[in-house]
Order: sequence, then structure tokens, then C-alpha cells
Amino acid sequence: MKHLLFIILALFSIQLCAQQKQFSKDDNGKFIYYKVVDSQLISKDTLLQRAKSFVNVAYKKSMTQETVTDSSVLAKGTMVIDKTILVAGHPSGEVSYNFVFEARNGKYRFWLTDLLFIPYQRDRYGNFVATTKIGVPLERTPGKLSAGAWKDILNSAYNKIEKFGDDFKKYLATNRVEKAKKKTETISTKKW
Amino acid sequence: MKKLLTAIFAMASTTCALAQETTTSPLEISGSVDTYFKYDFAKRGDNIKTSFASDHNSVSLGMIDIALKKKTGKASFVGELSFGPRGQTQSIPDVAAGGSSFHIQNLYVNYDFTDQFSMTAGYMGTFIGYEVISPVGNFNYSTSYLFTNGPFQNAGIKATYKFSDKVSLMAGVFNDWNLYSASRGVSAVGGQLMVAPVEGWTAYINVLSGAGAGGYGTIEDLTTSYQITEKFKLGLNAANYDIDNDGGGYAGAALYPQYAVADAVTLGLRGEYFKYKNAGGVQGAKYTSVTLTANIKSGGLTFIPEVRLDHSGDKPFFKEGGAVAPNAGQFSLAAVYAF
Repeated sequence: MKHLLFIILALFSIQLCAQQKQFSKDDNGKFIYYKVVDSQLISKDTLLQRAKSFVNVAYKKSMTQETVTDSSVLAKGTMVIDKTILVAGHPSGEVSYNFVFEARNGKYRFWLTDLLFIPYQRDRYGNFVATTKIGVPLERTPGKLSAGAWKDILNSAYNKIEKFGDDFKKYLATNRVEKAKKKTETISTKKW
Repeated sequence: MKKLLTAIFAMASTTCALAQETTTSPLEISGSVDTYFKYDFAKRGDNIKTSFASDHNSVSLGMIDIALKKKTGKASFVGELSFGPRGQTQSIPDVAAGGSSFHIQNLYVNYDFTDQFSMTAGYMGTFIGYEVISPVGNFNYSTSYLFTNGPFQNAGIKATYKFSDKVSLMAGVFNDWNLYSASRGVSAVGGQLMVAPVEGWTAYINVLSGAGAGGYGTIEDLTTSYQITEKFKLGLNAANYDIDNDGGGYAGAALYPQYAVADAVTLGLRGEYFKYKNAGGVQGAKYTSVTLTANIKSGGLTFIPEVRLDHSGDKPFFKEGGAVAPNAGQFSLAAVYAF
């Protein structure tokens, strides 16, 4: 029983930590998730190629590339969010965003902004679908009745975007060509 | 203890899996609970004979609805059960089965052969009409004549091809309406063309022909909604049902304008014209109905105050003393919680 209490307390503390994180605001007062990453060992061209691959291969189902220059990638995307953290739930909506990536030799930066929330509702077949095509800016101040639900949406959106940012940083740090060359280890049971 | 811990970690891990761009989804659990108070101005619960919310001057139950969904790779299932008057004694399959303990809302499997083409088999919410059984899916708490007289659910197998985000086509074969198993064989064919001409506007053109309510017949249905601005949405449902061999049928149209007056408050009107067709020389009744509804939301909870006024020159309604009347009215207050 002690172990169970410890685990529950640990999980709640993780949840509380997650709730304390908030979006920063940019010069226009819009929420922004902004990161600058040192990357001394990888060239600018390689970073750019990996960023394009991230958009067009790894996240092709949820992202669309808009423009590419010799040092930047612009894309649009959506991510489905789920307010439930500890138990199985269902999608509660999606957040659309604009994604900007810029590379220089030795470092790069990326940010997500223009965050719009579109709520989901269960349809007649039991699937969760968008109730509208018009998104609500995440920066809006909700009324008293919907303040609690909006706070959950902001928390969930932040966690999802933070996870996206971590995925992006890992993707840019990984040489996928070398990784593909490595053969899966074969184990023979004939000799031992 | 081990089982409990395993369950907690299993649930937590399914939620973590959400974060990845993957085709395998965690088990989704969703549903709703609803309750209502209705006051009929003639003090009769069944004065307006549309579906559900049939009690007068009573705090009464709707239903608890629980849905499960899981997708693994290209295959998925949905199972949805409801308990309570709205999902039991007031549901058509339950009455047909002599009264069971629950009502299946959806029970089907789906397979996505490609991103464009999928097939679904089982018992599904009908593709006909604007309103649905679940109170979460409707803006108004009371239901329209078009909903009450149309199919609620169809068992069958259907194929859907998505040409683009703006056009898709569904075709299928079905049992007769609202039955878990066919009483007249797989005896109906149906189709749905979905078009989304502009952002926010979606239209469904539906046809279902075969065994249905009152005999063999064909129903044509248009269901469309347009989110014109962030605050204003307009919906329309129009349908025509002809039963073979002078068996009657119905025709009607309903308009659903809705306007968000505040962050959590939306007002909506439903204006409906409905006519039963003449059958075997018997004149069908005509109805007009106006329903003013508010949706007040706080988190998962929605309060739905509603006033409804119905008129029919055929005097199908009753006054308080029992005399027939051309008009009927009611007030209701419903609380619906979706999870």
C-alpha cells in the first residue's frame, strides 16, 4: 500500500509540475514556443536538410511545408490534444500552428506561434471530430464559466508542443543515414 | 496490488503513446449523462409526440452513454452502450426486443484499406438526418419531427471513398431500420455524398432505399451546416420519404440558426415544417414547430433551457381538460454532461 501511495503522489507531482509551465508571449502579444539550440558539430546545410525531413517525412501527416530558403523552413501544422493525463481519455481538440526554423553555422532556432484551438465533439459514429473550422486563439481570455476547461486546454497544448520541440531537437541531432546503415543484429540459435 | 499497479501503468502508458505521430491510438473512453425537467403547458407529458423527454413536471432521466474506441494500425472498433429511459424504453430496438437492459448505439468495426478507402460493418448511427440520439450531438434537447420519423440506426456494411477533404462518397447495404438483426433480410441500399464547397460549410446528400418504417420505401435527405462566422452557424435538414404502394411517408424541412452571444452561451432556433403523406386515402397531418434553445457551457456540463411551440391545423394536441387543440407548448431545462 505504501508503494501505491508513493506512486500516486509521484504521478500527481509530475502532473502539478506540468501544469505550472506556461507559454511566453512574443512582440505582438501572441503565445510563442521559442528555442535556440547550440549545435556546434552539425553544419548549417545538414541542419536544414534534417529540418525539411522532419516536416516532410517524420511529421508529414500533421505538417505542411510552406516555404524553404537556404537557411529557413516555414511550415503549418496541427496537433491533436487530450486533456486527460493519467487515465485513458479521448481527443479534446486540435491546435494549429505556424512553425519557423532558421539555421546558422553552429546553432539553430525554431518557434511555434499563431496557435489556434479547434474543439472536438463526438459525432454520431462515436468518433471525435472538429466542431468548427474557425479556431480560437490560445491567448484569449475565457469567461468565468469556461476558465477551468480553458486552463486544461492550455496545459495540454503546452505539454504537446514541448514534446514536439523535444522530438524536433532529437531529430536534428540524429544522423539518420548512419542509423539506417546499421543492420539489425541477428541472433542464431543453431550454435551456442 | 500487482494488478492495480499494472493497470495504472498501462493507463499511463496509453496516454503517453498519444504524444507520438502513430497510427495506433490508446483506448478512448467517452460518453455522456443527461437529466431534464419538462413542463408541458397543457400538463400532458406526451402532448408533443417527438422522441425522448416525455415526462411532464418531473425531474427525469435521459441516459448514461458509454463509448469505447480503439484503433490499431488500419483497424478500429467502436462500441457504445446506453442505459436509462432515453437509451432503453424510449429506443426503438429495445421496444422491438421486448425490453432489454441497454441499447447499443454503435457497434462496428472499421478497416482503412488506404488513406482514402475504408469499409465499416456493424450497427451504426444512421447517416440520415441532422439530429442524433445522443443529447451531446444535438443543440436542442427536444427532437424534431424529421428525427423522430426517420431512421435512428442502420446495421449494415458500407464503403467510403474520400476523394479529397472536400468530397467523399459512401455506399452500403443495410438491414431494415433500427434493428440489431434483419427482419426482412439485407434489404436496403444507401449512399451518401459529402461535399465541403467552402471552408466551414459541409453538406451531406443521402439516399436510403429498401425496407424501412411502414414498408419498403425510399428516403432522400439533405443535411448541411455552415459556420459562417466565429459566432454564427446555420444548419438545414430537408427530407422526403415515400413508402411504396400508397403507404404514405413524410416530407419536411428544418432550419437551425445558432448565435454565440457570449463565450459560454449560444442561442439557437429550430424552425420546422413537417407533413405526413396521405396513406391509403387517409389524410396526413401537417406540423409547424418553433424551438428556442440556449446552450450554457461550463467545462463538460451544458445547461439547455428550451421553449417549444408546435402547431397543427389537424388538432393532434390536447388542452389541459382533454379537448383537442391546434397548439401545444412546453418548457424544459436539461443538464447534459459529456466526458
